[in-house]
Amino acid sequence: MKKMIVIQISALLLISGGVGGMLLFTDVYEEVQSNIVLILCLSCLKLEVSTIKEFTFETANNEPHPDFVLDNLTDGPVFLHYSEKACPGCDIMYPIIKQFFNVEFEKNEMFYEMVNYENSNVSYIYTNIDYSSEEMRDSLLIYDKDHVHGLPMFSVVTLGYDRGIVRPHYASVYGTLGFDNDKERITLLTELMQESIDMYNQNWEGYNPNQ
Amino acid sequence: MKFQMKRLLSQILIFFSANLGAFGLKTGFCYPFFYCHSCPASTSACPLKAIENSVYNVKDNGIAWKLLFYPILILGFFGTLTGRAICGWACPIGLLQRGTGRIARKLKKYPVIQKLGQHKIEPSLRYIKYFVFIIFVIITSALIGFIFTDICPIGFLTGTIPTLILYPGKFVPNPFFWVALVIFILFLVLIFTVERGWCRYFCPIGAFLAPFNKISILNISVDTEKCIHCNACSEECPMGIDVPNMRRDPECILCGKCINVCPKSCITFERK
Repeated sequence: MKKMIVIQISALLLISGGVGGMLLFTDVYEEVQSNIVLILCLSCLKLEVSTIKEFTFETANNEPHPDFVLDNLTDGPVFLHYSEKACPGCDIMYPIIKQFFNVEFEKNEMFYEMVNYENSNVSYIYTNIDYSSEEMRDSLLIYDKDHVHGLPMFSVVTLGYDRGIVRPHYASVYGTLGFDNDKERITLLTELMQESIDMYNQNWEGYNPNQ
Repeated sequence: MKFQMKRLLSQILIFFSANLGAFGLKTGFCYPFFYCHSCPASTSACPLKAIENSVYNVKDNGIAWKLLFYPILILGFFGTLTGRAICGWACPIGLLQRGTGRIARKLKKYPVIQKLGQHKIEPSLRYIKYFVFIIFVIITSALIGFIFTDICPIGFLTGTIPTLILYPGKFVPNPFFWVALVIFILFLVLIFTVERGWCRYFCPIGAFLAPFNKISILNISVDTEKCIHCNACSEECPMGIDVPNMRRDPECILCGKCINVCPKSCITFERK
């Protein structure tokens, strides 16, 4: 009997010490909250987001566009690629995007490159939410147009004409884009990029990032 | 208040607290029971998903030790204190099976069901849950991908169905949807035909908590000297345990139904 009590108390002390220590001295609580609880798991849902390729002016959470997007918009459209470490959909899309923009980078790093797409400058920004700054992570909520909170997410920010002024105009698509083959995914991305470049070329002369 | 009413109240209260996400409460804890964080109202993370994330694609990502130990320690804490009482007193899927168990109990009177329940293979089937936990939650996540997550019937019940109802037209089925639907239908058939069928045979969290029954502070003990072997306890047990001969049985969910029916009051909760 005494042996059992010793085992029970030791196990309880060890475990509660472990949980308490993790909560006090590590960021595991924040990691679980921001990467599991607040991010919609499309794999758990067995669902894909219904892809609507639609541009809008209003940000998803009514916050202003982040500076890093506004600054890059002076050179061309901005393509934002959001991903996370443990995400099957992200793993499907990662090689497709790399091939699409002809860029090379590691999945678990942040990445930025000005790419030449169809003779136009496009700022390609890759954000893995497990390895990125707060500003980059927060931008996920700014461009989460359909309030999905799911990954992967791809946003194209371009310029549009809105009631007399040129403003950032963006579209967001999610997951594996609603298709089960790479050909259709690339077609959708091509259409999205073409549309954003056309809009940019029509409006860039009127753009003032400080407006 | 009657003992089983207290248990029902505990299950209902915990069900509501698990869904406080509907009011904006989203925490960084893991549930110590089975509930999907993709449920629009969830407050915490599914412990299995945290474990899966920690070992996902281990070749490229390595093991996220923090994320692996966090749900294990949370489950271990409750396991050491109460063993599988979490299954009987807290788990929302246990609450669901409490409802479906009434039908399963009625069906048990049919000879075919009775025969199946008493088949010699039945005790071996209880090992499936350990297999599901090790193979489908840990090994496949590490080497292939989220197989369990893709087909999980609890995720389908608490995540997929509410999401499709709340956001019509926003989502479309992914390739695993139809497989998951078939598994979900089989899950429903199981819980309506076998009392606590999910807990008995398939629940990976039950599998994780089961060994803790051997050392838990709270357990159920039987005074074998007072026992008259009327077998009322075993007939009442939702987990199909041979109660008079059990000693810290890994299958026991500490629901206390055996305590209620014992005519000699020789079954009690024990705190040691």
